[in-house]
Amino acid sequence: MMQDTGTTTSNPTERRAPPGAPKSDSGALILVVERDPHVRSLERYFLEEAGFSVEFADDGEQAIELARRLVPAIIIAEILVPKRDGLSVCRMLKSDTATRKIIVLILSILSAEDRAREAGADGYLRKPLNDLALVDSVRKLLEPVVGKGMVHGTH
Amino acid sequence: MERISTGNQQADVILGGGFPAHSINIVMGQPGSGKTVFCEQLAFANLGGRPVLYLTTVSEPLAKVVTYLQEFEFARVDAIGEQIVYESLADTITDDPRKLPERVTDLLKQYRPKIIIIDSFKAIGDLMPDTASWRKVLYELAGTLTAYDATSFWIGEYIADMVARLPEFAVADAIVELTREQTGTRDDRYLHVLKLRGSTFLDGFHAFRIARSGLHIYPRLVSPEAFGEGYGTTIDRLATGIAGLDDMIETGWLRGTSTLVLGPSGAGKTLLALHFLREGVRRGERGLLVTFQENPSQLNRICGNISWHADELPNCGGLDLLYTSPVELQIDTIVGEIFHRIAEDKMQRVVIDSMGDLMNASRDMQRFRDYAYALTQRFSALGITAMLTMEVMRGGQYPPEVSAMVDNILLLEAHLNGEMQRTIRILKTRGSGYDLRRHLLRITSQGVLVDRAT
Repeated sequence: MMQDTGTTTSNPTERRAPPGAPKSDSGALILVVERDPHVRSLERYFLEEAGFSVEFADDGEQAIELARRLVPAIIIAEILVPKRDGLSVCRMLKSDTATRKIIVLILSILSAEDRAREAGADGYLRKPLNDLALVDSVRKLLEPVVGKGMVHGTH
Repeated sequence: MERISTGNQQADVILGGGFPAHSINIVMGQPGSGKTVFCEQLAFANLGGRPVLYLTTVSEPLAKVVTYLQEFEFARVDAIGEQIVYESLADTITDDPRKLPERVTDLLKQYRPKIIIIDSFKAIGDLMPDTASWRKVLYELAGTLTAYDATSFWIGEYIADMVARLPEFAVADAIVELTREQTGTRDDRYLHVLKLRGSTFLDGFHAFRIARSGLHIYPRLVSPEAFGEGYGTTIDRLATGIAGLDDMIETGWLRGTSTLVLGPSGAGKTLLALHFLREGVRRGERGLLVTFQENPSQLNRICGNISWHADELPNCGGLDLLYTSPVELQIDTIVGEIFHRIAEDKMQRVVIDSMGDLMNASRDMQRFRDYAYALTQRFSALGITAMLTMEVMRGGQYPPEVSAMVDNILLLEAHLNGEMQRTIRILKTRGSGYDLRRHLLRITSQGVLVDRAT
């Protein structure tokens, strides 16, 4: 079931993280499936600032390949990516026993929360990118994983 | 669609609720047209949560912007620094304007603003070495601004013919132009929405003025159809307060109708209209007198001469006065103010004395006709009974277009038969029989009455 991340495009948690704020110590690996260089640049900055490691996939095929090889803690995927769309990537990962435990957060320009849920995604956010919404959602989705000691690359 | 308020209720109405969130918008106009004030008002209206980032360039140095800003009542100095962050892009763009996207991205990561204002944006384009570089910079900048959860406003001293020519306009989701036109010795200012992607808006030119409280905008008067308002259909009779007049129309004087009172100077038009308002006040109906003819002192003298009590004088009881000198008359502003007063005080009777002044203040007859039509139609929709005076030369003509817009027309005349005699005659009523005869109109110390025995 898709987790309610409590976030939408209108971010209710409008507080600003002060520069130099303490970083998360989770160090979890995040695989971002995104082709827009501007979005990628911002995602890398905000996620790394929050203490995560970030890898990128340019398209859906590469996302599947990297997911199998790296087994990230979470995948943040845009739906509109080449070769295989983000929802298809999500369905494929969730149907494969080797990857089905990877958390999938759909972050898309498309209003597709229901479609994301149907595809088995664990969370959904609508673009444009809001750093607080993104980091809060990732942390919330990772909580049970961290609590069970299931950290990046160990499951 | 999420909207960003301009901080100005009327501008939000024109924009269909405000600027769409996450958009890139251009606010353009010649120097002194009010662009910066418009955007500053918007910035202060959106305090709370993430900050507003105000980036100055070279046309608007930081010190100048902040100094003048503090003259406005909406400027909360305590919010400057924390909630409204001012930064200068001057060093970046004078050093190498192609580094603008990089600098803006750094500021965006640092402050995470919900609104980004760049003032002046045109100055950046002017510093670019060539168009190709500018297009590349725009692409990069728009890419970052679109990727992040922020709404951007680019202010520039652009003029109309640049819209089709300069590449920044292709990027913009909305374009709002502020113009300033000289009319005699007066400047008339207008707000004009040229483009608003994915949203409806109120087109045309909307007058505004700049006060210490910010921009006061008067949306162009449009007919009720444009607002989706219905028309009032009433058979309620109304007492005009002019003895003998009400019985001249078979159906009586109906609420929600407009009456044009024509006549030469001195025929009694203003007195007739004053009686109409006074009768309303006596019956608990609020009235508004819009006059460009008599100033408040002159009006009080007239009312005193016809035995009005002190508490019946304009602005002393139920009668509200809106006086504007015809020299200062700006039709959009005055019409906006009329409807503002009507809405505020729930007016039921309105007199405009005179429509001729409004006509003279219009830039052309078509514009006046549009206003007169929208005015009478909206009065009808709001259930307001109106009396509109208009001066005509003795035996002269009046604009036939205006007569088509009103329900009733009264013609007052002055005849010199040894002594001055005033007469009244109904030229038209809509949908009712009426007394075709000309009757004496008597003005006594007690007021005006129609002598139907003559």
